Amino acid sequence: MTKITQNNIDTLKACRYCPMCRQSCPSEFISYRESDAPRGRAILLHSVYLGGKEFDSSAIQAIYNCFLCGACKSWCSGQELGGYDIPELIKFARRDIVSHGLAPQSVQEIRNSLVENDNTRNLDSKLSCTALVVEKTADVLYILGEGVNYTNPEIAEAFIRILGHQQIQYTLLKDEPTSGKELDLLGYRKEAQEKAKNMAGRIKAAGCKTIVVSDPLVYDALKNDYPAWGLKLESEILHVSEYLLSLIRSGKLKLKPTQMKVTLADSEFLGRNNGIYEAPREVVRASAGENFAEMQWHHEYLQSAGEAAFTFDGSAFKRGEELGRKISIKAEDINAEVIVALSATAKNNIAATTGLRVMDIVEFAANLMV
Amino acid sequence: MKFTQNSYMFDMVLFELQDIAGKEHVSTRASDKEVYSIDYFWISEMWHDRQAGRDITRPMADFIVHPANAEEVSKVLKVANNYKIPVTTWGGGSGSQGGALPVFGGIILDTKRMDKIYKIDEKSMTVEVGTGIIHQTLEWELEQKGLSTMHDPASARCATVGGFIAHRGTGVLSTKYGKIEDMIVNMEVVLPTGEIINTLPVPKTACGPDLNQIFIGSEGTLGVVTKVTLTIHRLPESRKFRAFIFKDLSTGLRVGQRLISENLQPSVIRLYSENETKEVIKKVLGIEKTGAYLVYGFDGKQEMVDLQMKYAKAIADQEEGEDLGTELGAEWWKNRYKFFFPPYMFHLPQCFGTLDTVATFSDIENVYNAMKEVVETRYPMARFIGHFSHWFPWGCMLYARFIIETPPEDPHEAIYLHNSIWNDALRAAMKAGGVLNEHHGIGLKLSRLTPELYGNSFQIIKNLKKSLDPNSIMNPGKLGFGV
Repeated sequence: MTKITQNNIDTLKACRYCPMCRQSCPSEFISYRESDAPRGRAILLHSVYLGGKEFDSSAIQAIYNCFLCGACKSWCSGQELGGYDIPELIKFARRDIVSHGLAPQSVQEIRNSLVENDNTRNLDSKLSCTALVVEKTADVLYILGEGVNYTNPEIAEAFIRILGHQQIQYTLLKDEPTSGKELDLLGYRKEAQEKAKNMAGRIKAAGCKTIVVSDPLVYDALKNDYPAWGLKLESEILHVSEYLLSLIRSGKLKLKPTQMKVTLADSEFLGRNNGIYEAPREVVRASAGENFAEMQWHHEYLQSAGEAAFTFDGSAFKRGEELGRKISIKAEDINAEVIVALSATAKNNIAATTGLRVMDIVEFAANLMV
Repeated sequence: MKFTQNSYMFDMVLFELQDIAGKEHVSTRASDKEVYSIDYFWISEMWHDRQAGRDITRPMADFIVHPANAEEVSKVLKVANNYKIPVTTWGGGSGSQGGALPVFGGIILDTKRMDKIYKIDEKSMTVEVGTGIIHQTLEWELEQKGLSTMHDPASARCATVGGFIAHRGTGVLSTKYGKIEDMIVNMEVVLPTGEIINTLPVPKTACGPDLNQIFIGSEGTLGVVTKVTLTIHRLPESRKFRAFIFKDLSTGLRVGQRLISENLQPSVIRLYSENETKEVIKKVLGIEKTGAYLVYGFDGKQEMVDLQMKYAKAIADQEEGEDLGTELGAEWWKNRYKFFFPPYMFHLPQCFGTLDTVATFSDIENVYNAMKEVVETRYPMARFIGHFSHWFPWGCMLYARFIIETPPEDPHEAIYLHNSIWNDALRAAMKAGGVLNEHHGIGLKLSRLTPELYGNSFQIIKNLKKSLDPNSIMNPGKLGFGV
């Protein structure tokens, strides 16, 4: 096995026998297996990296069952002092599994699809909503991410309506490529970096001042992974919620008040990884005002929407709905009428499990703009 | 288990279990077997930690089953009886006594799928729940309605309600609200032979022995509690704390005893020995003081709490306590779980153990001194610390701990040292008026000492076991029962 870093050893040693964060782990409370909790995964990895054991297929499955949502970090009272980081440990282990040719078949298939088709689902790029884009020179580059590009074009349409309404010149990337984020999360760093290099080149070629991103995974890649990999982007990078807020604050975008009770499903990759909690709230409050209500779990204690849940049990995307159901229940508990989501994945996972209106934040703003 | 995984009989039994719980809820995966071979018991952790380069193995389950309800539990137990397969019930696996370890293989019965909240009765102030629910999850749901069980242990975040019942758990508010056994109204229990029974609808009857009390604390040896109705309370209008440093432990103990005997009804009293004040309180709360740290707390209506706080302070002042104020008391409350997270909690390679016991006010200081002396004189490599945190009308609990920084590297020698300390310290405690344990249970760790604690009355418990579990399939090796 690959030599493990000291930070990862510290996490292994701290977490292997500690069950204190387990109630927060969404993967354990889908399968109810101890091996799908942070403690379980740390025990299994301890056996491999410090116990001299080989990976077995069920341990590998447990490593790929993690949603990488970071809830364990949020709920760890020793994290600040100890710096324990289960998601980083899991990503390290996945890279190691991949480097030894041990990735499960389902993971390899997702990898192949990303490498060949720039999406996780083996879809032809002609089916994406950026297939017919004609790139142009503009101040704003809008990056959709796979979910919006392939399954939720209504989110892109809503954002483009806002840009049009504001008379803002924008461009998109034709056949928008993958950012490499999914590949990296699966353990294919080399391939991820190749894809990142390609995406960075396309972004630079577009020559925009501001990059506005819908997908939290892509946002996280551009903000954190690309600089770490030496890919410097000169442009300002904003999530759509941050961009909408800047338009609202400058007085350019005005939203009609809504009388509906609205709540917000936080994003793990925007929130836990990038601290973006308030911008989407301010956008929602700009219309909902006092009708905005928090669910029981929000900010750093958010419930995972399954943004990286594309490998669970080898059934791509299937388990995400079980996470969505947990969010729906909490929204229904507070009698919300609208759930605002921050990614296509979250929107789909939640919408599949509730009769409430579920919309992306750009749809919310587009529907209510004056 | 008389058959191995490469025998077709293994597959035949596996099929029966899958037929009961569903294929996805029965695991024979190596990863699950490994993870369920370690609970919060130091020896199970140490054995795992020391596996590199050694020819050692851990006892592992053959099947891990996740039943959905009492009916499925019943069917699993009937299969287990048919083939005389050991069954070990697993809740959160956070017990420190090895009680959930499948030491003779067989079936692990993981209860966490039985996690429904069936009914919150705000008139009777009770909640009916599946025992597999993680306690914190239950508390969060109750909190939405302004309610709580007031059972608040450090393990709330990781333990199941059933786990608390299995080993008579307690929480930091026990001094006012009681231990888990004081909170139980009625229970649904699956007997070892598969019958599903319900205890009487209410506990305070004059209808013979209380069946609840047979199963509470039985650690999965007499059946599986699948559903329970617990008492609940409204969240208090006010909750206040105040902390003091007293010159020594004796003074602190006297203050605690007076807070109880003068009927002030505190919800919290925690008194730390001088060395634990120095070692643990400093680390978590940043207080550098010499003496014994004591924090007390009251909850309820604001005016009543203010009065209780006033009378409690008068006692502390009379005993010449150095007042650290309400902020440092509240700080303890805020950080009360933090003590149990790494890097604050003791951890390997350290060897450590919690020697909790309970005794009357007349005996408790002697118990502390006896344990301290035996640990410090016979095991000079060990540190001994303790605090007193669950108080009753007649006495209180001692949460003593020993810590060895560098135990023997050889795992067999480490176990010998570990067990020797437990034997010596607990025999000293029992001689001075203490018992084997107060709220962590017996498990595997203290099983050998249980007949010694009970003397000739242990036969009654053995007869009960034989009557309820004729094939001795339930959690063998625990609670003094052997196989």
